[in-house]
Amino acid sequence: MKKLLHPKAAKSSRASNTPLLLIALPGIIYLLINNYAPMLGIFLAFKDYSLIKGPFGSDWCGFQNFEFLFKTKDAFIMTRNTILYNLAFIIIGTAVAIFVAILMCELGERKRVKFYQAAMLLPNLLSWVVIGFIAYAFLNADTGFINNSFLAWLGLDPVSWYSEPGAWPAILIIVNLWKNIGYQSIIFMASISGIDKSLYEAAAMDGAGKLRQIRAITLPLLKPTVIMLTLMSIGRIFYSDFGLFYQVPQNSGALFATTQTIDTYVYRGLMELNDVGMSAAAGLYQSIVGFILVLIANKIVRKVDADNALF
Amino acid sequence: MKNMKRVLAALAAAAIALGLTACGGGGETSGTGNGEGEYDQVVYAYATFNNIPATEDLAPVQEAINEITREKIGVEVTLMPISVADYTSKVSLSLQGGEKIDVYQSLGNFNSCVASDMCYDISELIDEYGAGAKEVVGDNFLDACRVNGALYGIPTYKPYALTPMLIYREDIAQELGLDIDSIQSVNDITPLLEQVKSAYPNMTPLAPVQSGTIGLHMCMGDVDWLSDDYYNPVGVLLDNNTTVTDLYTSDVFKERAQLARTWHENDLVMKDAATTTTTAAEAMASGNYFGYIAAYSYPEEDTAASLQAQCGNYDIAAKILDDAFLSTGDINAVSWMIASTTDVPEAALAFLDLTYTDEDIINLLIYGIEGRDYVLNEDGTVSYPEGEDSTTVPYTAQLSCGTLGNFFKMYPTEGTNPESLAWEEAQNKEAETSVAMGFTFDSSSLKTQYTAVKNVISQYLPGLLCGSLDPDTELEKFEQALMDAGYQDILDAKQEQLDAWLAQQ
Amino acid sequence: MLQSKAFDRFASIFLGCLVVITLLPIVLIVISSFTAEDALIQNGYSFWPQEWSLDAYYYMVKQGAVILRSYGVSIFVTVVGTLCSVLITTMLAYPMSRKSFKYRNVLSFFVFFTMLFNGGIVPAYIMWTQIFHIKNTIFALLIPNYLVNAFNVILVKNYYSNNVPDALLEAAQIDGASEMTIFRRIMLPLAVPAIATISLFTGLCYWNDWTNGLYYISNEKLYSIQMLLMNIMNNIQALRANSTASLLGTGAVDLPGTAIRMAMAVIGILPILLVYPFVQKHLVRGVVVGAVKG
Repeated sequence: MKKLLHPKAAKSSRASNTPLLLIALPGIIYLLINNYAPMLGIFLAFKDYSLIKGPFGSDWCGFQNFEFLFKTKDAFIMTRNTILYNLAFIIIGTAVAIFVAILMCELGERKRVKFYQAAMLLPNLLSWVVIGFIAYAFLNADTGFINNSFLAWLGLDPVSWYSEPGAWPAILIIVNLWKNIGYQSIIFMASISGIDKSLYEAAAMDGAGKLRQIRAITLPLLKPTVIMLTLMSIGRIFYSDFGLFYQVPQNSGALFATTQTIDTYVYRGLMELNDVGMSAAAGLYQSIVGFILVLIANKIVRKVDADNALF
Repeated sequence: MKNMKRVLAALAAAAIALGLTACGGGGETSGTGNGEGEYDQVVYAYATFNNIPATEDLAPVQEAINEITREKIGVEVTLMPISVADYTSKVSLSLQGGEKIDVYQSLGNFNSCVASDMCYDISELIDEYGAGAKEVVGDNFLDACRVNGALYGIPTYKPYALTPMLIYREDIAQELGLDIDSIQSVNDITPLLEQVKSAYPNMTPLAPVQSGTIGLHMCMGDVDWLSDDYYNPVGVLLDNNTTVTDLYTSDVFKERAQLARTWHENDLVMKDAATTTTTAAEAMASGNYFGYIAAYSYPEEDTAASLQAQCGNYDIAAKILDDAFLSTGDINAVSWMIASTTDVPEAALAFLDLTYTDEDIINLLIYGIEGRDYVLNEDGTVSYPEGEDSTTVPYTAQLSCGTLGNFFKMYPTEGTNPESLAWEEAQNKEAETSVAMGFTFDSSSLKTQYTAVKNVISQYLPGLLCGSLDPDTELEKFEQALMDAGYQDILDAKQEQLDAWLAQQ
Repeated sequence: MLQSKAFDRFASIFLGCLVVITLLPIVLIVISSFTAEDALIQNGYSFWPQEWSLDAYYYMVKQGAVILRSYGVSIFVTVVGTLCSVLITTMLAYPMSRKSFKYRNVLSFFVFFTMLFNGGIVPAYIMWTQIFHIKNTIFALLIPNYLVNAFNVILVKNYYSNNVPDALLEAAQIDGASEMTIFRRIMLPLAVPAIATISLFTGLCYWNDWTNGLYYISNEKLYSIQMLLMNIMNNIQALRANSTASLLGTGAVDLPGTAIRMAMAVIGILPILLVYPFVQKHLVRGVVVGAVKG
């Protein structure tokens, strides 16, 4: 920190840098305490943690804590699932959210639009536990709405959803969309409404239709937001929304082939073992891979379009 | 990039400073007894299945206990009731965070408590400070908490023996004239279920007992799970043999899986049994089910009587399907431990001892203050004050009755049959016990395999034992997946440790 | 013109359908909470149950005082937490958006990095309880985890970079305004749309949080409504969970039924439903202001 304020810096730049730094200071201090200080705990990933010996007295054990992440057959399945689901969420989620945002903006300021927004944001307010219950109300084999009312009405046989792994990629993507689309589309709506209206007027004068206007004006101007959001999602590509993958499938073992992700595997494994070192190892592994992916993605963005890079 | 490095270096320095203080601070807080002076302070953390009482409602209970403990053992106790759902994680987090907890319990996780160094070795102290508890529980059961010679806890004294039973609708059985007496084992149930199905096509004869099981795992004969359980990696001892066997390739497992499959295919059991969250009692209360299989500690009639209200007040009866069988895991599932971080092991153990021997303390813990939280009836049973129930009284931990100290010293609740208590205590003494009683398996060197095997098990086992998977094709896949996950390592390690243990006996 | 009208109609119909689909599941749990327990198990979940019942809500009313107090805790934490968070977040984001600020990239990286790495719960727990002693205080619900969120910081920063012309700042500097004045007088008012958005997100985080409570609160007077719900739901799960039920040895556990669980879910979201229209008005107005200024 001291070095940053070193007098060697040119006088003029210090004059404008110091006040700005002061404004940022509360946030910096908070992040230092809340986020950076506990990161020291990362060294626990290399310790054979013992309660009596304490965090510093415990024996070092090299990479032994990482073994359970790689040694078994599950490693491939959970890594594959985590990445594929995240990619699906990034691509489908962004596309649908932009689509919805454009339609919303198209309808302008009507009363209805406010209601639409409110309604679509509603699922985002629910916790995963509640959503798990809702999904169960729909999918339960004996009493669920889909089997009981919908499929029966169509004259189809009931499906035992919680033991049909094949159906779950679709179910999870739909549930995720349902929960998050309102939230994501608000961000895009804010960006769209920031676009200069005169651009559209000019385009309309030139005889450009709606679709053309969207293609030529809206989408290109949304690019910075899309890039930013995507970069951030890539950083978390090794994480999964624990609630979605644990609560919604009701922890059903039969579905592991398509619902197991790194987070659920770690949780299931460590729930009983209660091993500080192994959970630290899992967290470190996820962080490092995410970190490397973001650095790479950011570098690519910087090459193509420097203004939109994150840092 | 240069700037970034500098910032990171500064951050690291700041963070290290903070981190070091964090651990320095740990030591200071543990000496809590300051000022209060003459009495040792003991924190007693217990799981409650009831509501967490408010601080001011808890205080009188704590004070009443302290009045006894100050005089008897010179100790002051702080009660720390924790909701059962968070219990295990809160206790381990608190211990890791350097907070003061001196006495705590295991909830089915005795081995992991030992493996993560959470337990104080009380072998040296038990004769002086825990003699009463030792006598109550008995050396035989106390051995269940011994690992490699060290004594890490005291099992709760309660009815250990759980007898598998068929709980069923007596009214329907009567109406259809079902021959309940013909049931000698779980195999004999099938024709009865079929009879129910043909008389009531809309009914599902059998409900699952909990999510993921229809109770068949309780009916496999004399199985010693050797420190594991139904949901964990298992190499077991079957029929008191001392060879560690893979349960899933055994004949009895195959038979049960076939049976479940037959039931599933003939619609005799709930279709979603492997994943449902509906409990047996809920299902029964709906009137759509004929019965379920579960294990209880009461005799048949009392079990049925106690279940009636939960099951929608239908006529309920029970039929024993198999004998009770005791192994180490049944005993040490709920054990009381002294925390390895404690600074007052003697005082902690002395208080723990009272929860096994002192009637007043036990009943204060369970029922709270007489008059306020409960009334004592003339026949020695307990009920809630007029117009109150378990959710409205200021303090009660009544549902924790099987997990605190000595169950047989507690006042029975109203309507309990005194004979049934006697039956239970007799069952404890008479139930068949495993040859490996007292052996605990140390799995700490097999964490990777455990994690992987556990995953495979939860993938296949509920489906196989609820009938939604076909054993003819899936059993083989299951076995293969287990082997890929390192199952054999666990079996081998178990056999090795068991042999060593047997050699010592 | 014609195309525009057709597009407009398509947008209306499409969004209308989408909204119906979105709301149906929520309607289903609300209806389930008013369904008799037996009907739920016998006939399954349905939009038109065979038997209505208020039993679940009677059960909740019995717990009335506890529920009201935890509502109070939740509201306090959400309001105070969101205010503090918005202030610190915008203050942190502003320098990051200034092109002339020397440590701009470093700071951005510093913020972004927190999204990738975390030290896990044990070190954080030791720090908050042993150094800051926040256990069983209201600060435990306010401070850990939610005060500054990297995502929100970056959102505001981008909003500034995209919507505030450099010329405006230069003009203010020439007039002799200090950085703090610029922030207070120009940047804060300009950021209203972004602030509305992050307030909503932050408020939701605080409202829905139960993990801070789980780790740092054991005094039931400081229970938030989410903790209360989680606690009850967790207890149900623990009782169902495999081994615990048999530990009891006795079977006499009276679990809240399905309808009650649904009622709890409804009670958890009810205040949000009530407050939301008001918050939303600001949100929409904020977005409009942004549009006009942009």
